[in-house]
Amino acid sequence: MSNIDLSHVSILVVEDSQFIRSLIVNSLRVLGVGSVQSVDDGSQAIEFIKQVKNDPMRAGMMHIDIIISDWEMSPVDGMILLRWIRRHKDSPDRFVPFLMLTGYSEPKRVHDARTMGVNEFMSKPFTINAMAEKLFSIINKPRQFVHTASYFGPDRRRQSIPIDGPDRRVLNYDSPEVEVVNG
Amino acid sequence: MAKVTVRYYRHKNKLREKTLGLAPLNDDEISFDEELMAKAMKELDDMAEDYPDWVSGLIDKLAAVHRRCVDTPEQRFKLFEQLHAIAHDMRGQGGTFGYPLISNFSDGLYDFTGVNTSTSDTNVEIIKSHIDAMRVVIKQRISGDGGEIGKQLKDGLEAAIRKYRK
Repeated sequence: MSNIDLSHVSILVVEDSQFIRSLIVNSLRVLGVGSVQSVDDGSQAIEFIKQVKNDPMRAGMMHIDIIISDWEMSPVDGMILLRWIRRHKDSPDRFVPFLMLTGYSEPKRVHDARTMGVNEFMSKPFTINAMAEKLFSIINKPRQFVHTASYFGPDRRRQSIPIDGPDRRVLNYDSPEVEVVNG
Repeated sequence: MAKVTVRYYRHKNKLREKTLGLAPLNDDEISFDEELMAKAMKELDDMAEDYPDWVSGLIDKLAAVHRRCVDTPEQRFKLFEQLHAIAHDMRGQGGTFGYPLISNFSDGLYDFTGVNTSTSDTNVEIIKSHIDAMRVVIKQRISGDGGEIGKQLKDGLEAAIRKYRK
């Protein structure tokens, strides 16, 4: 059995509630995450992400491996932050794994977050087991990214399950309109 | 040559290399350190126990801002924004730590202090009723739905809202 060693991992936590933020940060530190930084909302996160790219020494973080963000924040919420990360030209890493945390987990919200390119979704109240499960998935089961005219984010089909009805994917990996980029 | 309309990106999993090394492992061979997991769970439980104290501090803040609403009506617009922000901080968490009534009342307070809300004396009184109800919940440690007391608190708040709105 191999234990996941998080000591070289850097995580940015974006949460406006001081109490919840300290819960998340402490939990991650106890789980052994090597570097954890936290900010209050999406706009601070964007500034921090830029700072890590431009001046990592001052930011106190050399690289951001995972972002854990609350959804409901003001003035810039988790969805706007996710949109900026995935789509903005100034975003330094459009592929960074993004774990969305929210008190509201109705199917529509989950759908909206998936459409925006979220990797994982975790509802509050969170448990350590749930947190560990999401981190496990991000680390061990990353999905390929898909870029189309209307979507950029992790492949929303996690498994190859037989589809009941017509397959909306008209192209396959051999189609000339499809390019696979390995890196 | 057909125009590319779909791109798939398959990057090397650097995060896995950082955390598990290069050895090929099956899912059932990978886990988190059980000792660390137990420690993190305890840490989370210990912190959750501090929730009533923490929220009590926020209720004091709400009460202080409310007093300023009474004393300085000309500043209400700005003060309502402060109440709104504190209510936002509280509303998503009560349920997390076993106090859904706090979420319920702070949700109401959040609505009453939004940008389109009137800053009338009536609404200032309604805000006070919300704060009072929250204080009872925390003082008496009314967790869950609070049973009969919880129902009385909710009904009392609704009655106060109806009264002031007449």
